[in-house]
Amino acid sequence: MVKRTVVLLGAASLAIATGAAACGGGSDGGGTSAFDPGTCQGGTLTVLNQGGLDEFDPARLYTSGGGALPTLVYRTLTTRQRVAGEAGTKPVPDLATDLGTPSDNAKTWKFTLKDGLRFDDGTPITSADVKYGIERSFSPDLPGGAPYLHDWLVGGGSYKGPYNGGGDLKSIETPDPKTIVFKLRQPHGDFSYLATATQFAPVPKAKDTGTKYKNAPVSSGPYRVDKYEPGRKLILTRNPNWSRTLDNQRLACPDRIEVTSGLDKTVINQRLVSGAGADAKAITTDATVGPEQLAQLGSDPNLAKRVARGVFGETKYLAFDATKKPFDDPRVRQAFAYAINRQSVVNAVGGSALATPATTFLPEGKAFGQQPYDHFPAGQTGNPGKAKELLAQAGHANGLTVELAFPNSDAEGYGPKVAAAVQDALKQAGVTVKQKPLGEEDYRTVIGKPATQPPLTLQSWGADWPAGGPFLIPIFDGRQILRDGGNFNLAQLDDPAVNKEIDAISELTDPAAAAPRWGALDAEIGKKALIVPLYHPKAVALYGKDVKNAYVDQWRGWYDVAAVSVK
Amino acid sequence: MAGLATVVLMVAVALAAPLLCAIEGQDPTTFHSDLLDSARGGVPHGSFGGVSADHWLGVEPATGRDVFARVVHGARVSLGVALGATVLELLVGIAVGLGAGFGGRRADAVLSRLIELSLAFPSFLLALALMAIVPQSMPRPLLLACVITAVSWGNVARVTRSQALSLRRRDYVDAARMSGARPSRIAVREVLPGLTAPLLVLAALKVPLNMVSEAGLSFLGAGVRPPTPSWGQMLSTATTWFRADPTYVIVPGGLLFLTLLACTVLAEGVRRAMDPRWGGRS
Repeated sequence: MVKRTVVLLGAASLAIATGAAACGGGSDGGGTSAFDPGTCQGGTLTVLNQGGLDEFDPARLYTSGGGALPTLVYRTLTTRQRVAGEAGTKPVPDLATDLGTPSDNAKTWKFTLKDGLRFDDGTPITSADVKYGIERSFSPDLPGGAPYLHDWLVGGGSYKGPYNGGGDLKSIETPDPKTIVFKLRQPHGDFSYLATATQFAPVPKAKDTGTKYKNAPVSSGPYRVDKYEPGRKLILTRNPNWSRTLDNQRLACPDRIEVTSGLDKTVINQRLVSGAGADAKAITTDATVGPEQLAQLGSDPNLAKRVARGVFGETKYLAFDATKKPFDDPRVRQAFAYAINRQSVVNAVGGSALATPATTFLPEGKAFGQQPYDHFPAGQTGNPGKAKELLAQAGHANGLTVELAFPNSDAEGYGPKVAAAVQDALKQAGVTVKQKPLGEEDYRTVIGKPATQPPLTLQSWGADWPAGGPFLIPIFDGRQILRDGGNFNLAQLDDPAVNKEIDAISELTDPAAAAPRWGALDAEIGKKALIVPLYHPKAVALYGKDVKNAYVDQWRGWYDVAAVSVK
Repeated sequence: MAGLATVVLMVAVALAAPLLCAIEGQDPTTFHSDLLDSARGGVPHGSFGGVSADHWLGVEPATGRDVFARVVHGARVSLGVALGATVLELLVGIAVGLGAGFGGRRADAVLSRLIELSLAFPSFLLALALMAIVPQSMPRPLLLACVITAVSWGNVARVTRSQALSLRRRDYVDAARMSGARPSRIAVREVLPGLTAPLLVLAALKVPLNMVSEAGLSFLGAGVRPPTPSWGQMLSTATTWFRADPTYVIVPGGLLFLTLLACTVLAEGVRRAMDPRWGGRS
C-alpha cells in the first residue's frame, strides 16, 4: 500500500528537496579555505525554513532517506550515503553493521547492531528499541509515516501498535540485543532503502510518552532536542553520548543548530543573500531561489558561489482517470500528451533553472533506471495540430470541454500557475479547460478515493528512495487501487502483465539489476499515455557566506545539514 | 475636471477593451513562452518587461501573457465591480435607510441596530469569509459586487436615515402628509429627491473604496478566478517580480493609483458642487 509521495509531507524533512544533477561532481560548497572535517566543529548554524516543523516524532515523520533535520537526532538501521553526486543515491549502514542480510528469496531481512551505541541519556541502544520504534509507528495515534511497513511486514496490515495492550509485532524478531530480523509477506529487494526512514530509529520503551514523545525525544544521533515549538522553532545541541567513531556519515560540525520555520520564501532568500549577522551562518532546507535571486546570480559572481544546485527525484504530471469519459479513449489521452506546451509549464514554475521538461515518469538519474523516451513527440512547445487530429478521430472534432482539478497553492509546484499553462496549451488544441482549484487538504482526500476522484488532475510524485519501485508501484500496480482512500493509482490501471513484472523486479536484491527493468517498465507503461509527464523540478538553494562543505547529493538533491560547517 | 477626464477615459478603455486588444493584436490569456528568458526564471526578454511593437506594455513574467491586454481587461473587472457594488449599495442603503426613517419607531429600532451591526463588523474579513463559502459556480465579478455590497451598505443607510429624519418634519413634507399621501409615497416622492446631493457625494467616494476592496480581495486570492485578469491579482503576482521585472509592478500599480486618485478628486469635485457652502464653485 505504497502511497503518498514522500517528501511533501515530510515534517521536518523539508519538503521539496530537489536537487543535484548539476553538482554531479564533487563541488563542495563555497567557503574561503579548504574544508577539513577534523577542525570543522564549533559555532551556531541557523536554519531558515518555510515549513516542516509541524512534527518531530520519528513515527510520524515522512522523510526520504531520513530527512534533512530528523537525521541529526535519529539514527536509523541504514542511512543515505553522505557524499556528493551519484554515489549519494546509495544506502549505507548506520546503526547496523551492514545493509542487512536477505534470505528466503528476500522475504527475511536480518540486521546486526554496531557495538557501543548509546542514547543521549547513556543507556545502550538495543535491537528491542529499534523494534519498539517501528511498532509504535503502527499506532493510529501516530499516523503520517510511509505506508510501506504496514504493507510489507507479515501481520502489518492488522497490527495497531503497542499501546492499549496491543502487544508486539511477531514478524519483527529480536533473538538477542544486537540482532533484529524482519519477516516480509513478499520479497522486497529494496528493504535496505526503506530502513533509512525515521521509523527505523530506536525508541526506548521506558521513555515513550506517546503523542507527547516529539517534545522530548530520546536522541541517538549527534544532536538532541534542546527546545521544540511545533511549527515554529527547533533548537538542537550536542549529544555527549554520540561519537564520530561509531558514525561515519554525520560530521556534525556546528555545536548548536537553531531552526526557524514559518518564514516566507522571499524573506529567506533575501536574508541568505544579504547575510547580515547570524544569517551569514544560515542555510535553508526547503526554500529554492525565486526569480529575483536567479537574476542576481547571473550578475553577482560572489553570490553565484553560494548556491547549491541539485535534483530530488520527483515528477509533476497530468493524471487521467482512464476509466472515465472522455479519457477512457486512448486517442484523447494521446491528444493531451501532444498538446502540452512544456516550455510554458517550465516557465510557470520558475524557468529552466528550476525545472526540466519531462517526457518520462521516472526522474532522471541512474538510480531510477530511467530510460529516456518520448512516445508522443511534440517538441518543447507542443503540437496542437496533431492533438486536434487525434481528437477528431476520437469524435471530438468540435472541441471538448474538460475540468482540471489541482491544489489551490503553488507551493508544491503543481498549483494554479501550472494549471493556467496547461489550460492555455489545451486551448490551442480546441480543448476548453475549466479550472477546479481545491484546498490542499481537500485535494488529497478527494483525489485519494476513486469514487470522488476528478477525471483530470495535476499530480506530483517524489521518490521515497532513489529507485524505480517506489515510483511505479503506487501509481501503476493494479493491486494498489485503494477504494477507501489513499489511492494513487489514478489511472486505475490493473494490467496483469504490469503487475507480474512489478513482482518479478521486487524480488531483486541488487539495485543495479533492478534499475534497468524499472526503466523498461516505465517506458512500456508510457505507451498507454495514462499520465502526461510535465516536468522534473530542480533545486537551487542559497547558503550563508560563512557556510562550508555544502555539497549536494543525488538522494535528496540538497546540501546535508549533518555535513555543513560554520566555523 | 482632470479627475472626471481620467475616470471617463478609464471607463472608455474598459468598455473598449476587446477593441483595443484587437488593435494591438493580442488577447489576455495566450501564453508566449518564446518571449521569456527561461534560464533567468521566466523574466521577459528585452527592456521594460519586454515592451515591443507587438506588446505595448510588455509581457507578464513566467507566462508571457500580454500586459496591455490584461490591464485593459482588468479595468473592466476593477471598474465594473466598483460601480456595480456602488449601485447595489445605494439601492440597499436607501431602502433600509428610508425604511428606518419612515417605518415607525419599532422598524427604526430594528433597522438601526442592523445598520450599526453592519458598520461595526470588520468588513474586509467578512468579505474574505463570504468569498470563500459561496459556491464556485456563481460568476465571480457579480459575486464580488454582492459581497462588497453586503459588507459596506451601512454608510449609505445611515446617511439616508438621518437625512430622512431631518427632512420628514419639513413644511412641504407636512403639507404632503396633510393632503393624504401615504408614507411610502412621501418617502419616495417628497424626501428622496432631497437626498440626492448627499448620496451622490457618498456614491462618488464609495467607488474608489470599492475598487480598493476588489483589488484587495483579488490580491489575497479571493477575487476573480484566473485566467480572468484584475489589477489586484496582477499586483499580487508582481510581488515576487518587483526587482527582476519592475515594469510589471508599475503598470497595474500605477493604473490603480491613477484611477483611485481620479475618482477621489472627482468625488471631491462633486461634493464641492453640491455643498451650498461652496456656492457651486469647483
